[in-house]
Amino acid sequence: MKLASRKLFDRSLTGVSVMAVILMALSLLVLLGPIFSRGLGAFFFRATSEHRRLMLEQFNRGDQEEIAAETRAVTEARQPVYKMLANFEEELKNMEYVRRRGYNTQLKEVKDLLRELLGPLPGELEAVMLRQQYGQTRWDRSLVKLGQFLYIEQWDYSDPSQMGKKFLAPRQRSFAGTQLEPLFPYLKNNLGKMLQPRFVFYWRFLTDVSLDSHFFGGIWPEILGTIYLTLGAMLFAIPFGIIAAIYLSEFAGGGRLVSMLRVCISTLAGVPSIVFGLFGLAFFINTLHLSSSKSVLAGSATLALLILPTIIRSAEEALKAVPHAYKEAALSLGASQLRMVLTVLLPAALPGILTGIIISMGRAAGETAPIIFTAAVSVGQPLKLWETLSQPTPALPWNIYNLATEHQAVDEIRHVQYGMVLTLVLLVLLLNLAAIMIRARISKKMRG
Amino acid sequence: MQKTERNLIMSDAASRLRRLTALILKGFLLLATAISLVAVLLIIAYITRDALPFFRLRGLGELFKSTAWYPSGHPAEFGALAIFFGTGLVTLGAILVAVPLGIAAAIALSDILPYRLRQTVKPVIEILAAIPSVAYGFFALVIFAPLLQNRGGSLLAIALWLIGLPLGLILIFVITEMATRSIREDVAGAARLILAAVLAVILIRGLLALSATLTALRIASGTNALNVSIILGIMALPTIVSVAEDSLQAAGRELREGSYALGATRAETLFKVIIPAAGSGIIAAVILGVMRAVGETMVVWMASGNAAQIPSPWFNFLSPVRTLTATIAGDMGEADQVTGSSRYHVLFALALCLLLTSFIANLASEWILRRQQRKLGGLK
Amino acid sequence: MKIFQTLLIITMAAGFLGAADANKITVDGSTTVGPIAKAFAEFYMKQHPGVNITVSESGSGNGAKSLINGSCQVATMSRIMKQNEYEAAVHSEVLPISFVVALDGIAMIVHPGNPIKALTMEQIKSIYIGTIKNWSQLGGPNVPIVIISRDTNSGTYETFETRVLKGEKIAKNCEYVGSSGAIRQRVQSTQAAIGYVGIGFIDNTVKALPVNGVSPSPETVKDGSYPIGRPLYMYTNDYPKMGSDLYLFVNLYLTKKGQEIIEETGFIPVTNY
Repeated sequence: MKLASRKLFDRSLTGVSVMAVILMALSLLVLLGPIFSRGLGAFFFRATSEHRRLMLEQFNRGDQEEIAAETRAVTEARQPVYKMLANFEEELKNMEYVRRRGYNTQLKEVKDLLRELLGPLPGELEAVMLRQQYGQTRWDRSLVKLGQFLYIEQWDYSDPSQMGKKFLAPRQRSFAGTQLEPLFPYLKNNLGKMLQPRFVFYWRFLTDVSLDSHFFGGIWPEILGTIYLTLGAMLFAIPFGIIAAIYLSEFAGGGRLVSMLRVCISTLAGVPSIVFGLFGLAFFINTLHLSSSKSVLAGSATLALLILPTIIRSAEEALKAVPHAYKEAALSLGASQLRMVLTVLLPAALPGILTGIIISMGRAAGETAPIIFTAAVSVGQPLKLWETLSQPTPALPWNIYNLATEHQAVDEIRHVQYGMVLTLVLLVLLLNLAAIMIRARISKKMRG
Repeated sequence: MQKTERNLIMSDAASRLRRLTALILKGFLLLATAISLVAVLLIIAYITRDALPFFRLRGLGELFKSTAWYPSGHPAEFGALAIFFGTGLVTLGAILVAVPLGIAAAIALSDILPYRLRQTVKPVIEILAAIPSVAYGFFALVIFAPLLQNRGGSLLAIALWLIGLPLGLILIFVITEMATRSIREDVAGAARLILAAVLAVILIRGLLALSATLTALRIASGTNALNVSIILGIMALPTIVSVAEDSLQAAGRELREGSYALGATRAETLFKVIIPAAGSGIIAAVILGVMRAVGETMVVWMASGNAAQIPSPWFNFLSPVRTLTATIAGDMGEADQVTGSSRYHVLFALALCLLLTSFIANLASEWILRRQQRKLGGLK
Repeated sequence: MKIFQTLLIITMAAGFLGAADANKITVDGSTTVGPIAKAFAEFYMKQHPGVNITVSESGSGNGAKSLINGSCQVATMSRIMKQNEYEAAVHSEVLPISFVVALDGIAMIVHPGNPIKALTMEQIKSIYIGTIKNWSQLGGPNVPIVIISRDTNSGTYETFETRVLKGEKIAKNCEYVGSSGAIRQRVQSTQAAIGYVGIGFIDNTVKALPVNGVSPSPETVKDGSYPIGRPLYMYTNDYPKMGSDLYLFVNLYLTKKGQEIIEETGFIPVTNY
């Protein structure tokens, strides 16, 4: 081949490989971008007066007088709305039957939407479920509801070769000429006064319990559950892992037993996570009866099996990386091997072992399949420490799946789902960052 | 002054005690290490023990040959061929996505990028590896599936251009080279240009036509094999990149320097020297990536559609499929011996298949890696 | 390592001390009854702080199994227990007692952009077994039908299979999802989809079709004119001890507040309170 073509080939390889790296980085961006931006929306958003009222009544948070004054102002702004409704209902009574029937279904829709937007209408009995007792707590959802209020979604089925096309018809037209007609422009122009949106940094999203199936409140039970499960898995896995690593790096010969042990460890590393879940259910709960039902204990034990190989591997690497000089110096001074391991080897390898432990924590926190049938529930109270031995708990990974698929009102709680995903991803990333920093410190120490 | 005179040599009894404690300690450590051995044996034992009754009840043929998966039907049928196929299809898709990208990225990391850029790219790979699988599944279900459904055609067209154009150009280049090898030098340049122009026109025309058909494509359901394959490919990328990069690095500087000294360009060095030397390591990387894709549960459960069918034609990635892991996860509540039956045992049979596959793949990749270490170690 | 050992001992000691936590109720089972169970749980926990009620929704079949296994106290099911489940219960000395907490109907839902106006039971069956593959065969546009069904451990699925499919097998290209909420999600985002959910899961993002001329609504389910109506159950192991938390919890559906909750979640209370 001529030189020019060879150079071209070389350049194109460079181009292709750099493109691959760029594509990888781009995919990370595409993945994390929406999660971060919409997840932050669970923490930073414009909260309405309903939100502040909820905080006061359910969590005892906020200035009572301020909120009372706000409630008065808001009620005043809403008065015309209710007045128009009342006038319209009067008008309906005096209408003839056919016309009235036509308006009745539409009126029900209007009232339902108003209830979702502003909360219970005056004069109605108090609802039992929390979600009916408050209007919209977020301004972005309020605007969506306003859109639904002002426009009816209708479908144009005129083209028989395609599915219907959506178009929006102003609801105002259906009430033309009645007492309810001015309601629509009034609501549109004055929604801000009726809900008083203000920016809030709802960091307590992380520490509040969830109310009414995650409609309101925060995700504390899930976070606590994840913390319990991770710490429990660590509690089981770290002792066995470090001991195994010490044995394999210091005490083991090269015999067949040892190589079989190594094969077993790498096999354990390759087992799919769902098989761990199946095993955990069959062994820890159905055979050993660690707990009568699902529990954090069983879940932690299952997770511990999952991360054991990782801990053994990283600990062994860290132990092997300790310079021989340290070990030989200790031994030559007359220390027994145990003493050498405990007083010289382990402390020297500690940063490396810590790195491995922290990365395994991230892995244990994010795993779902092992805990589906051993520890996770959809709804539950945050557990006290002793309850973890026998009770199940909500956990971040499982509840992300649950809220994104099984929930009754998935669209209303999108921000909660994104918030959960963001929290989980941030948790794992922070753990990894800590591990990276520790590793950077070791390499600096080793180099210098 | 007898007290200050210390006995520097241990007495026989003390020495024996020391050795005994050392032995006990070693035994205790061995026992604790054996926990992993016990765990693996227990897992294999439990899964096998509860999987065998299925084969006793229904025989070996049905699970692997029939595509009728109706575990709760009357009568119940347990044909898992479509499910095996589903796992195979999404794994194939993941490999198609991850292997070219992964090897190219590994080459970039080991040979092409300067040190500082390499240090910035490594965290990207670690972050990709660290993101929990349920976050990937959430992305696949909530963001990617609607995207595929509403704009899938155009997305596929864009991907076609992104991949097709460079590949096509490389192909044109290779073809022109090979075709004009035997022509005289002075005419060769012109001949190459003409040939390249003609081929380029054909390429552009072809791509335009294909992208037009793709854009007009209506994807019925966004939760399908394509969705899952792409996401699984991204999940398998970090594994493939890091293992492949390690292998490429392990080939060593001497090999590279020797090749450069003979006048080879970087690309020629890579393709003719390094990659063949690190070849087995790359294969091991691919096997590990396959294992990751096969064993993944949450992404496939949420976003593959869970339809136990073999798509027609078999390579139709746009149809929903069902995988082994999603079947086990979805039916896991049946894993309770109380109303034990074939339905309960079939889950363990599927898990046994998964376990055996990962076991074999693991052994294979370890053997390959060890062989490569020996081969390259001998060169040093 | 010593620290971990001491921590372990302390935790186990605390565990034994706190082992007498009789104030927990584990609820497991149907995803259809899930919203009712969760709302009841929250209502009850508010009135009786100190009781921890956990709710899982993994399917009616799993609820039955957990009850028989002893790992839950209340099994929510959207179908009645099957014969082999009763037999297994008796075999394990579990006595299932059922409470019908609400009424429900299985509604057939399609995307609101779908021009189809109504279906008959025969047509639904043909769609799901694969004889009718395209919406054009029903008078709609030429778009292949995407059928979505519940997973096999679901009570809704079993009811659908018995009452509508009459035991015939669903077509192979049917997509399976794990909950009623998931069906609603898939249908609302896929124009060619059809699925079935409990009435409580219908909202204005999907269109519920009349079956055999009858629209699904509380009235038609109650008077039996809707062909696929069904009760929603809560099962316990033997009648709960009077006055215990479990007793009060499973009898919530008889109280006025309980029935309000059922109505507010979209299902049908058993009485006209």
